[in-house]
Amino acid sequence: MTYVENIFICLAAPLIIAALCTRGRARRVITFIIIGMAASLVSSYISSFIAAVQGATLDAASLEISPFVEEIIKLVPILFYLIVIRPEHSDAAESCMMSAIGFATYENVCFLLQRGVGNLMFLLIRGFGTGTMHVVCASLVSLGLLRVWKSEWLRFAGTVALLSAAITYHGVFNILVSQTGAPAYVGYFIPSFTALVSLIIRTRHE
Amino acid sequence: MLIIAENSIQLIFTAVCTVMCAYYMLITKKHEWVLLGLASFVYFLGDLYMQLFMIFYGDEPFYSYIPWVGYYACYLFFLLLIFEIRDTRPLKNSIRTLWFIPVFTFGMCVFFMNWGDYISNIVAAILMWLVFWADIDGLISIHKDTGENHANRNIYIIILIFCLLEYTIWTISCFSKEYTILNPYFLCEVLLSVSFLLLPSALRKAVEA
Repeated sequence: MTYVENIFICLAAPLIIAALCTRGRARRVITFIIIGMAASLVSSYISSFIAAVQGATLDAASLEISPFVEEIIKLVPILFYLIVIRPEHSDAAESCMMSAIGFATYENVCFLLQRGVGNLMFLLIRGFGTGTMHVVCASLVSLGLLRVWKSEWLRFAGTVALLSAAITYHGVFNILVSQTGAPAYVGYFIPSFTALVSLIIRTRHE
Repeated sequence: MLIIAENSIQLIFTAVCTVMCAYYMLITKKHEWVLLGLASFVYFLGDLYMQLFMIFYGDEPFYSYIPWVGYYACYLFFLLLIFEIRDTRPLKNSIRTLWFIPVFTFGMCVFFMNWGDYISNIVAAILMWLVFWADIDGLISIHKDTGENHANRNIYIIILIFCLLEYTIWTISCFSKEYTILNPYFLCEVLLSVSFLLLPSALRKAVEA
């Protein structure tokens, strides 16, 4: 059994101190990393609850329920930040990214404690794969939130559509990495490939 | 096996559509290509999830709506695309014909609820209502010559055919579970895949006009 709350406290404690000791941009960045970790903790609770209610196994929950819950929970603090604080676009995009990084870091630490730390090469691939996947999904959703649509309801529709895209992308990633051998490695490299392609498109587009 | 083959065809066609949109987006830098590219990409992801699940676990997903979320996102991107290419006039609600759309989509929704679950059918009905409404409104405006761009006609027609094919596929799947090549379900699925190949050329015409 993994005590996820204890892991969260251990990871968040120094960051909370750092957030209290810093100001401005640094404080915002650290705060959103903590928020991302908290979102990961909350989504693990909700996924476990839904899995228990539906009678799903742990594997089925990670493939079919977690992507749905994780992407929605990851979006909630960002939505709150955008609606209540109304930050600049660049600040909002950065916060969205930091939240995703916090989420991925916490998930990786939980994975390490569950599966052990013996195989450095595998952990390296997994670390980069999961981290990049969460960043890619967050970038997709922030594109919808920050993109200038013609009207408010079109922005809402665009965000929902991109959130759906992120959920499906996350689902495909989880299916592949739940396998062994080649499918798992393909799964871990897909986010890096997507990030590379989107970087090229963005550079060309600008 | 047949369902995996049909899914593979759809995966190839949606991937080709996505690549074509990415190419045109890089050349023209137009927002419309991003929306069509995302529509086909998200449909591709939904298909990929379904395909991988069937290959690794031998069945469709049981607990979640993840592939359907992908398909519904595709309808939303179609709706956003229609709003991007149409002129700035508001949607009409005075044309009586348009009010048959919610009657149709919700009528079909109630019918499909005999086989499927309630939530996904209601979501599909609402999304299809919006897409049909915006699409047919555009077609009527072209026909009545109210200032709507005539070059949009093809994209409106293809999206309309796409939506009608979706309804045909859902209806056939309620009655026939036979996995044979003679099942019209497969023909409709292939036609649906082909519609993704026709969309870029129709959008190119609309964007260039």
